[in-house]
Amino acid sequence: MSSVTLTTAEQARLHRAKPSFIGLVGGEIFKSTRMLSTWLTFALMLCFVAAPNIILLLIQVPFAENFKLGNNPKALDAFYNLLETDFLMLRVFIGFFLIFLTANVIGREYQLGTIRILLARGVGRLQLLLAKVSAVVLIGLITFLIWLLVLSGLMLLTPLVKSGNLNALQALNGDFWHNVELYLLTIFISMGATMLLTVAICAVGRSLALGLTVSALFFPIDNIAMAMMRIVFLITKNDFWKNITAYFLGPNLNQMASVAITTHNIENAGAPTLVDVDFNHTMLVTLVYAVIFVVVAIALTWRRDVKE
Amino acid sequence: MAEQVMTPPGAMKTRERSSEVVLHLQNLTKKYGERLAVNNLSLDIHRGDIFGFLGPNGAGKTTTIRMLFGLITPTSGNVTILGKTMGTARAQVLPRVGALIETPALYLYMSGRDNLRAVAASLGGVPNARIDAVLDIVGLRGRQKDRVRTYSLGMKQRLGVAIALLQDPEILVLDEPANGLDPAGIVEIRDLMHNLSAEGKTVFISSHILSEVQQICTRVAIISEGKLVTETTIEELLKGEGKFRVQVENTQDALFLIKQETWGKDATLDEHNAIITYAPDNRGRDLNLFLVKAGFAPDSLTEATQDLEKIFLELTGSKGGEIK
Repeated sequence: MSSVTLTTAEQARLHRAKPSFIGLVGGEIFKSTRMLSTWLTFALMLCFVAAPNIILLLIQVPFAENFKLGNNPKALDAFYNLLETDFLMLRVFIGFFLIFLTANVIGREYQLGTIRILLARGVGRLQLLLAKVSAVVLIGLITFLIWLLVLSGLMLLTPLVKSGNLNALQALNGDFWHNVELYLLTIFISMGATMLLTVAICAVGRSLALGLTVSALFFPIDNIAMAMMRIVFLITKNDFWKNITAYFLGPNLNQMASVAITTHNIENAGAPTLVDVDFNHTMLVTLVYAVIFVVVAIALTWRRDVKE
Repeated sequence: MAEQVMTPPGAMKTRERSSEVVLHLQNLTKKYGERLAVNNLSLDIHRGDIFGFLGPNGAGKTTTIRMLFGLITPTSGNVTILGKTMGTARAQVLPRVGALIETPALYLYMSGRDNLRAVAASLGGVPNARIDAVLDIVGLRGRQKDRVRTYSLGMKQRLGVAIALLQDPEILVLDEPANGLDPAGIVEIRDLMHNLSAEGKTVFISSHILSEVQQICTRVAIISEGKLVTETTIEELLKGEGKFRVQVENTQDALFLIKQETWGKDATLDEHNAIITYAPDNRGRDLNLFLVKAGFAPDSLTEATQDLEKIFLELTGSKGGEIK
């Protein structure tokens, strides 16, 4: 090994270099794009998201026949059917993708011990956490947009294939587009909550495996807990067991779209709470969980020694 | 890229020590429950030092290094780097310090070059030419595109050093840098340390490989159970207690003669059958004269030095198995 002499200008430039937030976000995106597993997960999840629509193109289903009616309320219902299926898949699998991505970006850094390279160069712990979260948000949004474009293409293709024209699009009214916006809003909220949950778990466990496993199991466990509460309620007849489900995160997210959209009957995307709740309630519960996740992530990142 | 002429090993040891303290630890303490991992440790490292930080496994070396970089919060005490307190100027000071802490932490799924690119992107302001330069320095240019998971431990160690050198740091902190390196790699690391020191950079090496420290470092600190045992130059540490080592033909007769003298009654033989003794008036030439006059002209007469391993074991109370 030999030392290399730098010119004064080169040396001055290197010595002036300081970690910047933009640089950190760029570094995180660079690392994520170099992970083969990121691309594989992206492609696999996209297949799952698009699968129902592709199957619909290939097989005969009764509601799809309504696209042939053109500007007709039944065609509108058919679009709502497509929307519910596609957005449910989008919400579920973008969630899985975000869990995977967040656990990799945060948990893997601790697991490999590479966190110490960055922190030992003067990068602040919270600065790095925020940069990582920002990178996840950016990649998550880009992924969301790409998947949404693919779904939109498939949604347009469906009436075209089924009826040979796009006349059914005339059935889409202002209410429909407003409901699409509301549904997308609930998906964004669900994405945010899922990402923050994984951030908090990674901050606790400081491991890729733990971040991935616990985050992926959180919502199924939440849904199983709902069934347990129902059983306990049926045995004890005590309303407490029903009421407490109003504060579970998963069920609130599951029914957020259906309580937000009032002009059309939207199916819950999973087990709902055992008591009736409104949109504001689901938003409030999600916000409280989000705040808890953020506080846990910040406190543990800020205060705990880095021994990895 | 201009390569510097290698500094011969040991050349640094004769250079005058700079008065500028670049790394100052003041009463640094870390307590885990009742256990003191680092106990009131104070050290001054000067510019240009190649400073060896020695201690048996679990002595607190890595905890100290982690406290230097703010990875572990000290229970008490301060760290000052380049004249600035770590607590308040961490972001300004640490970019000027390169570090290799414990085993090299690397992104195994990326190539060697991409590892450097990822860190360079995060740190900002590191051009591609510098990435090429550090790859040249550590001799990894030929394997830069291979995934790090295919690297040997020695290559990972080199890449860790390359990352530490990315921003041309003024201070380089290396935790066990010779781990996993073959003999040629160890010699290269040694040359690199000397070259960096010759450029005015300060190198702080934590190690438990005594032979390496002896050959590389200008100064050493030895810690045991978190406490500083000694901090001095290598020469001072190895210097005997004023004794001389004499090689003569008739060892037993010469030893008998020396033992008759008041200054020579503690004379002994070492494992190589050389006489270890004090000299009259503590002067080697007088000892030489005495032996010549007595008909025992010495084959060699040198100041007796102590064995670093022996000193280390005595100072730390370690078992031999913990050091190399």
